[in-house]
Formats: sequence, C-alpha cells, structure tokens
Amino acid sequence: MAVRTIEVRERLMAKNDELAGEVRRTLDAAGVPAFNLVSSPGSGKTSLLERTLDRLGKELRIAIITGDVQTQNDADRLARRTDRLVQAVVTGGACHLDALQVLTALDAIDLNSTDLLFVENVGNLVCPASWDLGELAKIVVFSVTEGEDKPLKYPKMFRQARYAVLNKIDLLPYLQFDVDRAVGFAREVNPELEFFMTSSLTGEGMDAWFSFLRRQARASIPA
Amino acid sequence: MHEMSLALEVGRLVEQQLSAQPGRLVSVAVEVGDDAGVEPDNLAFCLEAVLAYPPFDGARPVLHRVPGDALRLEYLEVDDGSTDD
Repeated sequence: MAVRTIEVRERLMAKNDELAGEVRRTLDAAGVPAFNLVSSPGSGKTSLLERTLDRLGKELRIAIITGDVQTQNDADRLARRTDRLVQAVVTGGACHLDALQVLTALDAIDLNSTDLLFVENVGNLVCPASWDLGELAKIVVFSVTEGEDKPLKYPKMFRQARYAVLNKIDLLPYLQFDVDRAVGFAREVNPELEFFMTSSLTGEGMDAWFSFLRRQARASIPA
Repeated sequence: MHEMSLALEVGRLVEQQLSAQPGRLVSVAVEVGDDAGVEPDNLAFCLEAVLAYPPFDGARPVLHRVPGDALRLEYLEVDDGSTDD
C-alpha cells in the first residue's frame, strides 16, 4: 500500500473566527458595542445584567443573548426587566457559545434600534476563552466567594478579557478575601485589565460600571 | 468538553480534504499548543470517537504537543490504494 501524507496546517478555530469576523462587521456597521460576559457558574452575571437593565434600560436600548447548557432561566429572569427581546441560546450540552450561535441570534435583534449588546456566555472559565464571538471585548466576572487566585488558575480567560468585574463585594466583611491580592494576581496575568468592583445586591460600585457602559454606547455611534 | 467541538471540527476539515483527495484515511495529526486551553488526552479520546465512524473508518489520531497556543490540523495520512514502486 502507498500511504501519502497530505499537509493541511489549518487552524481549528478558522471557521469560528471567520464567523466571528462576520458578527463583528455586522455590529460595527450598526454601531453596537458588544460585550461577552464570561465567568464561572454563580459569579453573578445575570444579577449584574438585571441591575444594569434596571438602571440603564430606559436610557439605553440594551439587547441580550444568554447562553446556557440547559434551561432558559437566565433569559426569563432578564426578560422580566426589559420590554426588549432577550435571546436565549440553549447549547444542549456544549460548554461555550460559538460565533455561529451568536450570528444566528443576531437575526432576531433589531440592531438599528440597539445601543448595547451583552452576550452572557455559559458559566465556565475554561472553554469560552477559546471562542471569539465577534465581541468588542470579553468581560470576566468573578466574585469574592471564589478565592483570590482565580486569575492564576484560569489565566487564559483573564488574558483574553479586557475588563474584569469583581462582584458580590457586599460579602467582603464576612469573608477572608484580599481584594488587593486578587487584583494583583489578575494584573500579573494581564497588566492591562481594567477593574470594576461591584455588588449587584446593594448597588455598591455600580455607578462606575454604568458610566463605563454609557461611554461605550456613545463611543460606538457611527459618525 | 469543548474538546468534542474541536474533534468535530477536525472531522469537518478532514472530510473536506478527503472529498478532494480520496483514499482510505490512516491517521490524522493535530498540533496542540501547551497554552491552547485543551486537555490533550481528552482531545485524543474525542478524536478517536469521531474517527471511529465512516467516512473515517477508524483512522488513528496523532497529537503533537508544541509550545504556544497553536491548535491546527497538521496533516493526514491516506492510503490511496496504489502499490508501492
């Protein structure tokens, strides 16, 4: 038998990245900044978005795509806070959203009447780091109940993110969590990381988050 | 388990190659970077599962660890049925 070697050398993420490019071009053309919220399960992504809709929902037209392995619970929670459509993507077992799912979800969103898009990814600090969804930036959310060394344990996610939200800071009096240490570990992995310290429950620190989102929405308006 | 998504993508790319250059697939080599966020044993397991069925017919996955975050289909080995000279 004659065994031939066929050189391929094709990136496995090439197809996803091509679709992510299409998402990015679509969002850019409509002037919609999109943020991909990534975290471990239970860090408070949905609560952060609920609070954001409560405060900014009248001022900014916010669209949301939620990703969950099963159930539409997050989408249902968020839909109670907004008149706008919340697009649920149930991955049916997959541990991350991919660009095709986001591109498909965009079909149902009127981007011309959208100021800001959030993609709430599947709760998982590993897999979603590898998938570009066409977002403007990844925002990694972690909470004070998770341990300061999260950034060292999941460096790829913290390297990929441009912003970090340290959530549930209302619990700090009850925990032995060293905020400076956590921020130090995160900056060790990604010196450019910009931080927000928030409590979705009490609202502490949320004003800086809201101001950031207002700036992002204004900055993306096409000239 | 995004290793299964990656294994399925390997399958899609291999099918593309085989449609252009038919033959019996012998092995599939994948380059996996140390920082690619992939568990190599898990990927090998998923590749074995994907390659067990037609049109792959039990081809052997070969993983090459490399520095960095590379993740690519490197090469295929195909038996084209011709005899060696």
